[in-house]
Amino acid sequence: MRQFRTYLGTAVLLLIWFAGVQTRGETPLPFFSDAELAIQYRERCAYVIDQIVENTDPNDFTRGSMFNIAANLHSGTNIEWARKRIVAANEPPTGAMFWMHPMVLLMETGRGVLNEKDWAFIHELWRTYFPYRGDTENHWIMYYASIYLAAEMRPDAGREQWYNGKTSAENMAEAKEYISDWIRITTSYGQGEYDSPNYIEEYTRPMALLAGWAQDPEVRQQGKMMMDYILLDYVVESLDGLYGGAHSRLYPRYLLQPSLTAGAAHGWLFFNQGEYRANSGNTLIALSGYEPPPILFRIAHGRANQGYVQRELKRTRWRLRNAGPDAFEIDEKSTTPVYKYSYVHPDYILGSSQGGLLQPIQQQTWSLIWSEKNAQGKTNTMFGLQPFSSPLEGTMYFASDWDTVTNLIARSKVDYDSPDKLEGGSPYEHVVQDESTLIALYDIPEGTRFPLINTLFSRDLKHRIEDYSGWIFGQGGPVYVAYRPLAPGEWREVDWTGLLKSGAGAWFSTNFEKLAEGSQCFVSKSLKNGYIVEVAPVSDFESYESFQAAIRALQFEFSLDPIPSVAFTNLSGKMLFANYGEPLSVNGKAVDYTQWKLFDGPYSYAERESQSLEIKFGQERYFLDFKNLRIESTILPAE
Amino acid sequence: MKILAYYFIAFSTFAAFNAQVGAMEETRLFAALAMTKAQESSPIPTDSGVFIYNGNTDTWERTGPVIQSVGSITTDPSNPDVVFLACGNGIVRSRDGGQTWRMTSGWRESDFTKIAIDPVDGNNVYATSVWGMSVSRDGGDTWARANRGLAERYSRTVIVDSRNPKRLLLGTADGIYQSNNRAKSWQVVRSSPRLTILRIARSESNPDLWIAGTEGEGVFLSKDDGKSWSKTAPELGNANIYAVAMDSSDESRLAVAGWGTGVWISIDGGASWIDRGAGLPSKNVTAMIYDPNQSNRLWVSTFEEGTLYSDNEGKDWHDGGLKGAYVFDLGVVSIK
Repeated sequence: MRQFRTYLGTAVLLLIWFAGVQTRGETPLPFFSDAELAIQYRERCAYVIDQIVENTDPNDFTRGSMFNIAANLHSGTNIEWARKRIVAANEPPTGAMFWMHPMVLLMETGRGVLNEKDWAFIHELWRTYFPYRGDTENHWIMYYASIYLAAEMRPDAGREQWYNGKTSAENMAEAKEYISDWIRITTSYGQGEYDSPNYIEEYTRPMALLAGWAQDPEVRQQGKMMMDYILLDYVVESLDGLYGGAHSRLYPRYLLQPSLTAGAAHGWLFFNQGEYRANSGNTLIALSGYEPPPILFRIAHGRANQGYVQRELKRTRWRLRNAGPDAFEIDEKSTTPVYKYSYVHPDYILGSSQGGLLQPIQQQTWSLIWSEKNAQGKTNTMFGLQPFSSPLEGTMYFASDWDTVTNLIARSKVDYDSPDKLEGGSPYEHVVQDESTLIALYDIPEGTRFPLINTLFSRDLKHRIEDYSGWIFGQGGPVYVAYRPLAPGEWREVDWTGLLKSGAGAWFSTNFEKLAEGSQCFVSKSLKNGYIVEVAPVSDFESYESFQAAIRALQFEFSLDPIPSVAFTNLSGKMLFANYGEPLSVNGKAVDYTQWKLFDGPYSYAERESQSLEIKFGQERYFLDFKNLRIESTILPAE
Repeated sequence: MKILAYYFIAFSTFAAFNAQVGAMEETRLFAALAMTKAQESSPIPTDSGVFIYNGNTDTWERTGPVIQSVGSITTDPSNPDVVFLACGNGIVRSRDGGQTWRMTSGWRESDFTKIAIDPVDGNNVYATSVWGMSVSRDGGDTWARANRGLAERYSRTVIVDSRNPKRLLLGTADGIYQSNNRAKSWQVVRSSPRLTILRIARSESNPDLWIAGTEGEGVFLSKDDGKSWSKTAPELGNANIYAVAMDSSDESRLAVAGWGTGVWISIDGGASWIDRGAGLPSKNVTAMIYDPNQSNRLWVSTFEEGTLYSDNEGKDWHDGGLKGAYVFDLGVVSIK
């Protein structure tokens, strides 16, 4: 309870500070020293661990994850329960890399606590359980970070002591090489599973493990630097802890409620944004001792009142075949550039990628999120998609056969082959954006499995008006939204097939009926199609009516044949011209994707293939040099 | 202890065979599979691995480690104690008849589909994967990529020419490729269809006769030792063919099958084809082989609806087990 009171005290201080921030410069910004930020962060870490310990029932050996066991081992509490639970939780071991990394966490926190018998049991698991390495980037990095640390704890273990018949030295060498290569590719060409509000923790978990426990100083430094890197990537596109913009992967319930994501949970732990929510990634990180550099907190909280553009270069997952004309190769594997563009405003984030099949199954090509005083329970988001599903996509990214791949995908991602799904890329979608204006165009061939487009209008987009002008207006929190469909459509409830409400989606659609209730989709079945989204802060207008009038007055022309195209002058007075399949033209100048940087925004900069990242806030500069595993913290001259 | 005992049994199946049959060498049927039918709300099959058919007990018995995503298995023709698994994780090898196993490939190799060994020099091992061809020159100790000349690396199947072990035929996403220098370089076989080759088989009774199943263009046949290929079985013109088989004792007897096709059989060397899918629980076939130990017996694996066999050219089908399995490869291995 003492720690909780301390935590509450800090929270009150921060709330007072937030109030200052949210009045937009009217109150002088308070300043937290690096030491104060570190203390506050450690208190939140302690709270995470305390919560788990408090909720452990030492008499119930049937409940408690390996993360929970680790928290108790770390705290020196419920040790007998932990010992028995280790055995019960591993009869038999399952989950491959999702077993490996919490097992390593448990082992690291169990040093000096577990007895010989416990270790013998654990070592036998590593000898006999042969984990699958997986088929995604997050699987591999979890696998190799885990085997690295497990082997490092037993450096002299021979071949006969490991499931794969390799010695500890061989396992460590292989893992170290993969980890270094993953870092090289990520910091050169962008992350393959980029900016996922769900999967961010599948990267922070292994990196925090390395940062916390790797004995090799190079590997430890790699873990710490990649933690910094991933968190910067998140913080420059986050809004009160919610991850905005285009995403590589998102599950249905998290699409509808951004505050439920692991990204949001990280926002609370690292930057005290949003509310505390139990999260395994946070547990691991809290135990690891990793501490974020203070500059990230300052970016999260001290961003300018003006909006800014954040451009980022990412890449698709590796493509096995059907790689397409835009593909390039890295070490004999094909991938395609992903051009991310986000407009980050104090009240909202509108962000997009170019469209196409950039990620299998769960891509979110564009999204809008807006600020809410309390985002818990809110569907403070909007997005659109063509619900594409095809073996073409499946076989592009997975080793399965053409005729079974869709079926097998839908065994776990059950909505993949459903017309009302809320996530996924489409080869027939083309999205462009300039600051608060987004234009999406669709050219869907005859015979496409689900020949329609869906746009979410959430229950928290209030005061919806279908205007005589053809625009649809709404207000989400402090943001006005105007949506102009280019073809007729109809309103349908979210999940109009009922697939997810029925519980078929298991954990990732738990409570979906409640989450989706009151929200609707605008569904249009025209094959040549598109829409414009124009967003503006409420504070820019005298009234809702004046916003509507301003939108109606905008110059706007479009045609759908032979290909969809739009000419639109937005609220900023910029003349935008979008033609399906071509770069956006802004005031007569085409956007040049060849110049896209790995990171390009007011708080971050990285050139393609640089293996570095410059983080800036005011005069503070924090530089990550991955080639030399060097962190440089400097103060720039005052402007 | 129950689990440990289970693993012990799993790791020791090959060894058990050795003990049973002494130093004798025999050919056994294998199935590399994943149990997917009961896989619900999960990306993980309920079971997977390689299973060996025991004709005495009419059961399938696991061999090798319990490991997700095993595409195929093979043994060294010159030393059946050397066993290779082509896995999602990489190449897993045993050198003691299955008593112990070791993953010999590293992080650069993954997602293997098929593996073949030089019948003369067991140091040369060839493995196909969705990332291309990997080769070992030291019996599987180390691996390197061997994709020189390939337009598309995605590969599903490879066969070493038993008459000329320097020569290999490889099924890629760009047709059939040939190497005449032990996979140092590849050239496309010009008459092969330029699309994904899913399966290739060669007749043991007439080594000039080859057959290939494609993704989207049905079946192709070569009667001149893989030099030229022409379409056969016009009834399966646009089918995805996941299974091709040639009877080792009778060159005129061929079988092909794929998705939605059931089984088609030819008894005249591919000149004509008969639909023998009636009686199968599913027309979706993923693997097939003529049993070298039982004349005229054809084994067929359907997608999740079991493996069946016929002793009368597909007129009648009998339950062969493996219900619920997605069989990736059905073949034979030599066991000492």
